[in-house]
Amino acid sequence: MTTVEQARTTAPFGRLAAAEVRWVLRRPRTLVLFALLALVPVAIGVGIALTGGPGGGDRDGPGLVAAVAGNGLVLPIAALSLALALLLPLTVATAAADALAGEAAHSTLRGLLLAPVGRTRLVAMKGVGVLTVAVVAVLAVAVVGVVTGWIVVGGPSGTMITLSGTTLGLGEALGRVALVAGWTIVQLLAVAAVALAVSAFTEHPLVVLAAVLGGLIVFGVLAAIPSLEWLQPLLLTSGWGAGTDALRDPLPLDGLASSTLRALVYLVLGAAVTVWRMRRRDG
Amino acid sequence: MGRRSWVGAGLGAALVGAVGVGLLVAPAGAAAAPPLPPVSPEDLVSSVMTARPGAFAGEVDVDNALGLPAVPGVPQLANGTSTIRVWSGGEGRGRVAIPSGDSERTLVSDGTTRWSYDSRDRTATRAPAGGGRGGPPGDAGAQDPTAAATQAVATLRQSSTVTVDGTAEVAGRAAYQLVLTPLPTERTLLREVRVAVDAETRQPLELTVLAQGSGEPALQVGFSQITYGPQDPALFTFTPPPGTTVRGAPGPDGQHRDGQRPGGDGQRPTRVGDGWDTVLIGRAPQPQQGQQRPDGAPDLSTLGTPVSGPWGAGRVITTAVATVIVTDDGRIAAGAVPQQVLTEALAR
Repeated sequence: MTTVEQARTTAPFGRLAAAEVRWVLRRPRTLVLFALLALVPVAIGVGIALTGGPGGGDRDGPGLVAAVAGNGLVLPIAALSLALALLLPLTVATAAADALAGEAAHSTLRGLLLAPVGRTRLVAMKGVGVLTVAVVAVLAVAVVGVVTGWIVVGGPSGTMITLSGTTLGLGEALGRVALVAGWTIVQLLAVAAVALAVSAFTEHPLVVLAAVLGGLIVFGVLAAIPSLEWLQPLLLTSGWGAGTDALRDPLPLDGLASSTLRALVYLVLGAAVTVWRMRRRDG
Repeated sequence: MGRRSWVGAGLGAALVGAVGVGLLVAPAGAAAAPPLPPVSPEDLVSSVMTARPGAFAGEVDVDNALGLPAVPGVPQLANGTSTIRVWSGGEGRGRVAIPSGDSERTLVSDGTTRWSYDSRDRTATRAPAGGGRGGPPGDAGAQDPTAAATQAVATLRQSSTVTVDGTAEVAGRAAYQLVLTPLPTERTLLREVRVAVDAETRQPLELTVLAQGSGEPALQVGFSQITYGPQDPALFTFTPPPGTTVRGAPGPDGQHRDGQRPGGDGQRPTRVGDGWDTVLIGRAPQPQQGQQRPDGAPDLSTLGTPVSGPWGAGRVITTAVATVIVTDDGRIAAGAVPQQVLTEALAR
């Protein structure tokens, strides 16, 4: 008897998540953001191909972008680290804002809360939607970056020149790109978890966007104050330079590992706050 | 799921957060001094001098509080901490990676040729390796603890009290603390130089320089992590990647020092005094007409504060451990001494 009741009161999670993912990916604003993100590597690649690199090979190149000239496979990594500064967090924050606060603003969250779906499953479902946005966004930048780097920038016959002056073969170079992409997704999930937590407390999606982008800017300011150096290990953004480490040879994993650990702490705390709040929310 | 299990989950999340923050914030923590058999300073010093640096890989932390003025183009000299990665294959083969932000300087020595690669302008500089200097390439001189500490021990032996002050743990290795203190007669800014020597391999692991009137080290260069053992030979070869500007070796005796010390055009600096209060007097390279300053050489004319005396006039640059006077007629006097000792040496 109980099994029949359970079958009626709980929907399979896969179906819920698939419905949410379809719903998220059909939103025009999500698609526009994806397109914008895909434009980032194209813009860098075309710019470098036309001008021959910043400063015409002089030493004043702004970091990674200078390393892309004549070295196409660096382009996806450079584009990811540029986009991680603001564009990618903006994308996941938009998705997280729509997930809970947006639903509340349209009064559709009440329907979801009343539906025969557990609150935890509801949060997990919304989380899957945001996760999908983060993964697709990062993949868009990485794949378009690889293709653009290959076709527009070109390079020394399918190899990547590291910052250490060594040359990596195609397989290892793509492995490094995949490593940076995976690491970027984890960092974005940390942002997304915090954004979902904010989203669970408000019914104005703009509050979520303002909180996340404002928070990123505040973190940047805090990191720039020398007397607050002790705060650095706590700030999510202070590890975001570690993506560059993938371009060093031999690969140093310290920075990538510590920033991933930091992101996981943010992720767990954000998810816990979100679930805690959604258990109590009533509309 | 009852309310109680939710309280549990909340507590769990808070615990995860606390542990995570603890992991992120907590420093390595000072380990207790490991027990080691006593050793006389003489034995320790000589074993350091004779030890052949073997193959290892490690990370070197540089904690710089020297108080050097900000020199544009050489950010590594400014106060702060940085991490350097070092590999040594023994027999003069080595690799040093100096990462900075979005770029990296790489120094590779395969025993016969030294390469220096800068990812910012993608230039590789080739130079023949210096005669018989062991360990990683001498280009890293000031930053590689092996070469730096061995050199410090050798030169400071005559004018200092040398003691072995207990033991310490550096980079997970048990180490003796060799302490060099200047004799009271020495007029120097330095209070103490500590060298941590690996008890097993007798390789210097950490160099700490303490200045007068400050409890914090002025300079600490030491391994934060070291693994002994054979290294991948591919690390010690360098092939300039495509698209690299390759420059040849500088002039025959142009003591290639990466522009940090513009060589005095073949003229060696004169030494005044000995021991801790040695003063070196050299001649600043004259900017030749129609020729730019060598790339990377700091422009000294804007640094320091003006001074004058019976010896002439110039500018004095004071740091935590050293003083430099650049006179208007192009002489440079430098030493780990107060300004007065420098002016006395200049007046000779």
